[in-house]
Amino acid sequence: MAEEIKKEKMTRGQFLLMGGLGSFVGAVLTIPPFVYALGPSIKVMFRGKTDVPNVWRVVGSVFEIPSGEPETFRVEFPQKQSYSAGQPNAGVGTITDAVLVSWQGGKMPERVKGKDKGKLSASEIEALKKKLNVMSNACTHMGCPVRWSPADRQILCPCHGGIYTINGAHVGGPPPHGLWRYIFEIREDGTIRIKHEFAQGTPWVV
Amino acid sequence: MMARVRGRMRERGREFAGWMEDRTRIISIGEKQLYEPTPKRGMWIYTLGSATLFLITVQFLTGILLLFYYVPSTDHAWSSIYYIMKDAYFGWLVRGIHFWSANLLLAVIGLHMVRTFLSGAYKPPRELNWVVGVALILIVTILAFTGYALRWDQEGFYAWEVGMKIASYTPLIGGWMVSFLLGGDTVGPATLSRVFTIHVWLLPALLAPLIGVHLFLLRLHGEFGAAFEYSERLAKLRKNRQAEELEELLGPEDGDDGTPRG
Repeated sequence: MAEEIKKEKMTRGQFLLMGGLGSFVGAVLTIPPFVYALGPSIKVMFRGKTDVPNVWRVVGSVFEIPSGEPETFRVEFPQKQSYSAGQPNAGVGTITDAVLVSWQGGKMPERVKGKDKGKLSASEIEALKKKLNVMSNACTHMGCPVRWSPADRQILCPCHGGIYTINGAHVGGPPPHGLWRYIFEIREDGTIRIKHEFAQGTPWVV
Repeated sequence: MMARVRGRMRERGREFAGWMEDRTRIISIGEKQLYEPTPKRGMWIYTLGSATLFLITVQFLTGILLLFYYVPSTDHAWSSIYYIMKDAYFGWLVRGIHFWSANLLLAVIGLHMVRTFLSGAYKPPRELNWVVGVALILIVTILAFTGYALRWDQEGFYAWEVGMKIASYTPLIGGWMVSFLLGGDTVGPATLSRVFTIHVWLLPALLAPLIGVHLFLLRLHGEFGAAFEYSERLAKLRKNRQAEELEELLGPEDGDDGTPRG
C-alpha cells in the first residue's frame, strides 16, 4: 500500500513551472489589495501629495493682533479626500484649523500700535514678518488643542501638560518641540495669509 | 401504552443521535468537552477565559445590531448614534450593552492574562497559546480604540488624533502608519471610513479565527493544572467510561419496551 501511493519525483521543469506560476498567482492575489489599501500612504509618503491643495487663506489682519496675548482665528482650508462632508458629490470638502497669532514676546510693534488699518511698505512688511508668530493650536506632543492661559501668561495643553511661551517655544512638558508654525505672508493692507504648510514638517492631524 | 410510546421515542432519539454521531462526531466531541478535567482549586478564576469568549460573542451580536442604523460618514456618524440612543426601539439597550461589555471585556481579558501569567499556564507546551493570546489582547485593544473614534464626537475624535500622533512615533514607518490610518495627511472623511473598516471587518475577521486557534490549542493540551493535580479524578472518569462501554457492549437485560436490544 505504502509503495503504491509513493510520491512521484518532480522534474526540474515542473518545479520551475510551479514556482513561476505560484509567484505569479501570489503576486496577482496580494499586490492589488495592498496597493489599494495603502493608496493614501503611497500618495503622501511616496509621491509627496497632500489632502489640502496649495492655496493661501486669509487669517486676519496684523492690526487685529493684540499686545501681550495671542489672537485665535478659525481658518477653513479645502480638503480632498474620498468624499466631502455636507456635499452630494465626491470632491473638495473643508478642514478647519485654529490658528494662534501673536507678536514676538507679546510686544506690539510701534507701526501697528493704535491703528486699525494702513498701507504697509515692503520694508515694513519684512520687519513685521519677523515679529509675528503664526502657529497651529495642535500640541506637538499628541495633537490636543492648546489655549492661552491669561493667568499663567503661557500657552497650555490640557492633555499632558505641555507648556509654550507666547512665541510658541517649548517651555515644559512632553512636547518634542515648539508649536507648528504656518508658512505665512503679510499683504500691503496688513492681511495675514497662510498656507497649509509648516516650517517644522508634517503635524498629521491638523 | 405510555411505556411503549416512551420506549419508541427513546429509540428514535438514540437512532438520531447515532446518525449524527456517525456523520459529525458531535456526541463524542460534546462528551469530551463536557467531561474535560478541570482544576478544582481556584476554579472560578479559570472561568475568565470563557467570560472573555462570552463578552466577545456579545460584542459581535450587538455590533451586528448597531450596524442596522449606524452610518459611517462624517455627516451622519454622530447623528445616527443619536438616533439609536433616542429613537430606535431598545437602541439604548443595544448600544449600552455594546459599550459597557466592551469596557468589561478589556478588564476581563486583562484578568485572564494575569491569571495565565500567575498560574504559570504559559509554560511548555502552552507557549504558543500565550503568543496567540497576546495577539488577541492587542486586537481587542485596537477594536476598543477604533470603536471610540466611530462615535465621531469631540471625545472620540480627539482620542483618535492622539492615537494618530502615537502611531506617528513608530520607528521608520511612522509616516506610513499614520497616512494609512488617516487615509491622507489630515483627518477627514477618509479617516472615518478607515476606522469603520478596521473596527467592523478587518479586526473581527482576524479575531474570530485566532480565537479558534486559541481554543484548539487549549483543547490540545488541556486546561493547565488539570493533568497533574487531578490525575485521580481522571482515573475515576476513565473507569466510569470503561464501565459504560462494557455495559454498551453486553447490552442491558432488556429494553424498556421489553424487546432485547440489538
